[in-house]
Amino acid sequence: MQVTKYMSTPVITVTPETTLAEVYRIFRRGTFRHLPVADPAGRLIGMVTDRDMRSALPSSLGMTEKQREDAGSSIVVEQFMSRVLRSLQPTSTLDDALLLLDRDSIGAVPVIDENRVIRGIFSIRDLLRAYKKLFSVGEKGFALITVIADNQPKALSRITRIIEDMDLTVSRLVLVPGDSTEPSKIHIRINTLNIPAVRKTLLAAGFQPVLPDCDTSC
Amino acid sequence: MPSSPLLIMISDPRMSAHDTGGGHHPETASRLEAIDRRLQNGFSGGIIEKVKSQPIDRQLLLAFHREEYLFRFEERALSGHSYLGHPDNQINHASYDAAMVSAGAGVVGIDLLENRDIKSVFCCTRPPGHHAERAMALGFCFFNNCAVAARYWQQRYNRRRILILDIDAHHGNGIQAAFEEDPEVLYVSIHEHPSFSFPGTGFAEENGSGSGKGMVLNIPLLPGAGDNEVLDAITEKVGPAIIAFEPEAILVAAGFDGHRQDDMSGLNYSTDLFLQLGLSIGKWAEQFSCGKVLSILEGGYHLDSLAESVEAYLIGLTSP
Repeated sequence: MQVTKYMSTPVITVTPETTLAEVYRIFRRGTFRHLPVADPAGRLIGMVTDRDMRSALPSSLGMTEKQREDAGSSIVVEQFMSRVLRSLQPTSTLDDALLLLDRDSIGAVPVIDENRVIRGIFSIRDLLRAYKKLFSVGEKGFALITVIADNQPKALSRITRIIEDMDLTVSRLVLVPGDSTEPSKIHIRINTLNIPAVRKTLLAAGFQPVLPDCDTSC
Repeated sequence: MPSSPLLIMISDPRMSAHDTGGGHHPETASRLEAIDRRLQNGFSGGIIEKVKSQPIDRQLLLAFHREEYLFRFEERALSGHSYLGHPDNQINHASYDAAMVSAGAGVVGIDLLENRDIKSVFCCTRPPGHHAERAMALGFCFFNNCAVAARYWQQRYNRRRILILDIDAHHGNGIQAAFEEDPEVLYVSIHEHPSFSFPGTGFAEENGSGSGKGMVLNIPLLPGAGDNEVLDAITEKVGPAIIAFEPEAILVAAGFDGHRQDDMSGLNYSTDLFLQLGLSIGKWAEQFSCGKVLSILEGGYHLDSLAESVEAYLIGLTSP
């Protein structure tokens, strides 16, 4: 669940002295939109996004691509990099990353160690990839069952035991708390086609299966 | 002079020897018996000729499956193991032979379509096939009956552009895996949405890859979806895709577990929908494949609705 397992490495970095023209070339070659700025020891001192770069470039009006690139040769990163630095640590979890990316509406954030040395970069794309894997989205062989949570203790552990006793595997177990309008529900992602058999077993144990929540009206 | 049959149905008692162990397992020989009973006197005045299947040639299976998987399956069945890879895939000593006969039905059917004046062949087979992967049994399926049949059609009769239309309630992950990079096979599947339903694949975003980009059309339906949603999809997406593809041969992965009485899915199909699907497929066949269609049974577990739905589908398919 830590970001180090899913972050992108190695990281392409630039220095404060790197020219705008070089940044332009790096972004044009790569598929990323964020460049950490590092000192000679590899420590994080700034960030440059493709938006920063576009703002720093002269207007494209009346200029060829080559002329724009040449115009960027006299501007260096230090002049337009962001010094408001957000970062994650190797101990940061995927949830830490999600909250940071969401709170600050940013697309990627560097992962730095205790000496501020850049160890990787973690993007929204990495976050999607991580949760896709963790929630087994698109993995073959799974189906979803939804049951109403009974009011007895240890509902999740009882469900897990029932399913494991059937020699089946749970890849996702989510309890969605209810409110005054509907009861708490438990969504179980499980590796079987024989869903009716699982439903019958869960019902016998006191868990009422229900259809998943979905609105087909639109 | 005897009338020529409207339809050939391929069945074989050897497929009933595949025993899934009783209990709550829904994939049983009684499925085939229910269909057989329903069709024993023909339907709508039409004549059904019954033909036995043949065990498929191992080489034809290798057009999709890995040889080590064949050995593993045969060894597990003959040595008395109760399942292959996952408890869903229950087996007994006869399962390997039954799966060979089940996969052979498509081959027998293609030979009949190509060599006789017959338009429709329905393979009343089990175990089903569309979840089976190259080297993995999945979802009651062991050999991918549709995938090996399509490859045989291409190789033996040079029918290159093949449409595989999968109307089972579940996405045919194995068929998609077989052809997702193939520019000559169009795989179209209408199924319950993979966020809810087995096998968890078949998102609309999956549309083929490499040179097969655009050759997969997945139409996931939310639980509760019924006839209107399917018919809308046929009009708006499936029909145009098939017309643009111009198939030389049409193969239907004919699953009936989307029926509202079948608890293997949350779909809400009526029996009449299968009549409508048969009519649509019959029209595409008249337009593109000299009226010829090979249908291979996949799912369908509520015995009465399975039998009714198969009959309705075949009535639609063979309507003039």
